[in-house]
Amino acid sequence: MSCPKTQYLVQEYFSEELSAIARSELDRHLSDCGHCNAELESVLLAQQDLEQWQEQRVPHWDRGLQLFRQEHRIERPISGFWLSWQWAPTAVSLAMFCVLIFNVNVRSDESGFSISFAGSDSWDNGLSARLTEFEQAQRLQMEQLVSRVESRQDSNNVQLLQAVMQQTQQSTAESFDQMYAYFEQQRLLDLQDMRAGYEQLVDSDYETIRSLQQLVNYVGYQSDIR
Amino acid sequence: MRQQDGDLMSLINEDEALIAAALKGSAYAWEKLVKRYESKIYNHGLRLTGNSSDAMDLMQEVFLGVYRNLHRFRGDAKFSSWIFRIAHNKAVDMNRRKRLMTAPPKFPNEEDGGEFDNFPGRKELEPENRVGENEQNQRVLKMLNELNAELRSIVELKIFQSLTFDEIAELQDISANTVKTRFYSALKKLKVVSEEQNVLS
Repeated sequence: MSCPKTQYLVQEYFSEELSAIARSELDRHLSDCGHCNAELESVLLAQQDLEQWQEQRVPHWDRGLQLFRQEHRIERPISGFWLSWQWAPTAVSLAMFCVLIFNVNVRSDESGFSISFAGSDSWDNGLSARLTEFEQAQRLQMEQLVSRVESRQDSNNVQLLQAVMQQTQQSTAESFDQMYAYFEQQRLLDLQDMRAGYEQLVDSDYETIRSLQQLVNYVGYQSDIR
Repeated sequence: MRQQDGDLMSLINEDEALIAAALKGSAYAWEKLVKRYESKIYNHGLRLTGNSSDAMDLMQEVFLGVYRNLHRFRGDAKFSSWIFRIAHNKAVDMNRRKRLMTAPPKFPNEEDGGEFDNFPGRKELEPENRVGENEQNQRVLKMLNELNAELRSIVELKIFQSLTFDEIAELQDISANTVKTRFYSALKKLKVVSEEQNVLS
């Protein structure tokens, strides 16, 4: 006692997009067909059983907070004031860079401030005049200083020279004396040596004469014998 | 009814506000967002896996997925559908991993029960993880245990999450007719278990 419509009917019963007409048709079939009715009822009972499920509490867990905090601490945005003033250092350095590049001059005088670019020298006449003045003064001072140093150096030199010469004279005189004495001594020694040599020479001459005499005597004697 | 709609809208707006705050780095908003959905996801996992440790693993993976992809969430879908899509994908992944780790290799032509086949398998291994405190929940799990994972997930989505057939079809990338057919065969099996249980009690 089965009905070919049962599967379709149960499926459609659980379908949401059923029109009102389809719904009433479905109800009509259910009241007519005992098999479908019984089937649907047992299915609904099973559904009821399932719906007995009671939500169980989730065991304690950290909900990924550790990971979340870890990753967000690193890239935590700087808040409020600092966020809005972050560009300031960059801007300042850029401005400095521009001042350098365009050679900006800012000058203040009685009439207020004036700014000029690219090293305009219209305003620095006064400065250069003062610079030349200062240079002249410096040069003068330098010259004075140099001349003073020179004169002092000269006098020092003269004194030094004198002292040196004096000392040299002294030592020269002394060394002449010493040399004279040395030569004298040498001369005396030479004289002595020469005298000794002559004496020796005389002695040897005498010796020669004597041997000659002896020879003569001998020759005389020989001739006597003959 | 109008009042209910208004409540739903404010809930959705609240979700979006929390998401925006969490994306800006508010840990408080993130925690609140998790708290709103953790119970749903955990119980969803319990019914799919049949044990609390797998349910816990699944829930953590789902929220990690939510966290990693939060910036991709566009307001055009409900956050709850989005999170259940992530849950579905994670459940499929988890089941695939489990099958690779625990099951002996199958021959390709062997009857394949689908992506969720191994889910109820670990229940008896971990008695301390069984959802044993609650008799009613035990009965529900016993009924669900009679279904393979495919049917189980459709029953879960249809009866517990109250999705429409079309929504389930979209979520699981199958046709609405397949969903209806599977749902009907699931109901037939459930009916049998339910009758047995009612007779016994």
